[in-house]
Amino acid sequence: MFSLSLIEHTLRLPPHLLGLSLEKAVRHELEGLFLDKVIAKLGLCVSVYDIRSINGGFIFPGDGAPTYTVRCRLIMFRPFVGEIIDAKLKDYDENSLRLSLGFFDDICIPPHLLPTPSHFWPDPENRNRRRWVWEYQTDDENQTSGSMFAIDEIGATIRFKVQSISYPSIPLEQPNSSKPFAPMVVTGSIDNDGLGPLSWWE
Amino acid sequence: MKIIKANDGPLTNFELLDYLRSRGASKEVAVTVTPSEYKVFEYLVETAACDQTRERVTDFVQKVKTYNLAKAEVLNIINIRPPLPVGIFTIVENCDTRLGEAAAEELAEMVSETLPPPPAQPEIQDADQPEGAIADGDPQPIADPDGEAAKAGAGGAVDGGDDMVEDGNLGDAS
Repeated sequence: MFSLSLIEHTLRLPPHLLGLSLEKAVRHELEGLFLDKVIAKLGLCVSVYDIRSINGGFIFPGDGAPTYTVRCRLIMFRPFVGEIIDAKLKDYDENSLRLSLGFFDDICIPPHLLPTPSHFWPDPENRNRRRWVWEYQTDDENQTSGSMFAIDEIGATIRFKVQSISYPSIPLEQPNSSKPFAPMVVTGSIDNDGLGPLSWWE
Repeated sequence: MKIIKANDGPLTNFELLDYLRSRGASKEVAVTVTPSEYKVFEYLVETAACDQTRERVTDFVQKVKTYNLAKAEVLNIINIRPPLPVGIFTIVENCDTRLGEAAAEELAEMVSETLPPPPAQPEIQDADQPEGAIADGDPQPIADPDGEAAKAGAGGAVDGGDDMVEDGNLGDAS
C-alpha cells in the first residue's frame, strides 16, 4: 500500500533555518510542506524517504531567502486496486461502512460491495439501532438454511479489497454542517471469500 | 512541484517499518519522527510486518517463485501473511485455475513456516479462542458462542524472503 514517488520541487528556504546543515533544513521544509497531505494521483504523503539532489540556492531580487530546486523521493500511501488491507471499523450507517487505518480514515465500503445478500436490519438487542447483517445461504439438496453474520463491532479488524481510489476535487463552498472534506477516498469491497471481519474466517 | 516519476517502486509494509525504525520510531519513545509518521508506525507494528526480517522475506520471495505469482500478489501475501488456504484464495486471482487447492494449501503452509506470525491481537470480546483455526475456511455464524476469535490467525508476521528488496527501494540508512 506504500510506494515511492520521485518529485522535483522549488523550495524557498526561510532564513531562520540557514543555521542548520542544508540537508536538514531542506528536509524540514519538505516535511512541513508535504507530510500528511494528499497529492492528487500520488496519494497521501507519509514520509520523506530521501533527498536525491539539491540545486540552485539563488536569491531572487527583492527576496531575503534562497530558493533551491530539490529532487526527493516521498513515501506515499497509495493502495493499488486489488490490494488486500486490514483496517478497523470506525462507523457505519445505511450508506456505507467506514474503516480507518489510524493514519488514514476515509475508507468507505458501499452497500453494493458488501457480501450478497446483506441487509441493514434492526439490532435484536438494541431496538434503536440498525446494523448490517450478511445472510449466508447454504443449499443442501432442497433445504436452504441461512446463518446471519453481523458487522457491527466498532474497532474490529476488517479485511477488504481495494476497489478504487478517488480524489474528489476541492468544493468551492460547503455548508457548515457537512462532514469535513476528504481529499482522497478509498472504496473497498468485502464481497469475496476471506474478506470481511477477521473473526468470520478463523 | 513537478512529478518526475509517480511510481518509483512499491514498498512492503516491512520495508516501511524498517525505515521508520531506522529514523528512530519505537513503541516507547518517538521524538525523531513526526506525529503522523508515528501513526503509521503504530498501525504497522500491529500487522504481520512487525517481526519480519530482511532475510526471511528474501527467503520467502525465492521460495514463492515456483508458483508464478504476480508481483502484487506476492506483496499482498507478505503484508497479510495468510496462514490458511482461504487467505491465499482471497489474494491470488483465479486461484482455482492457476494454483488449485493442493498448491494453495502448500503455499499457505510455506507462508506459515517461512514468515513469523503476527502479534496476538488484544481481546475485543471476552472469548479467548484456542489457536486451532478451522482449516476449511467456512465463516463462523454469530450464533456460535465460541466463534469470536479476536486473534488474527491470518496476517501473521511473515519472516520470509521478500521480493521487493531486489528492487533496491529499501533504504539502508543512506
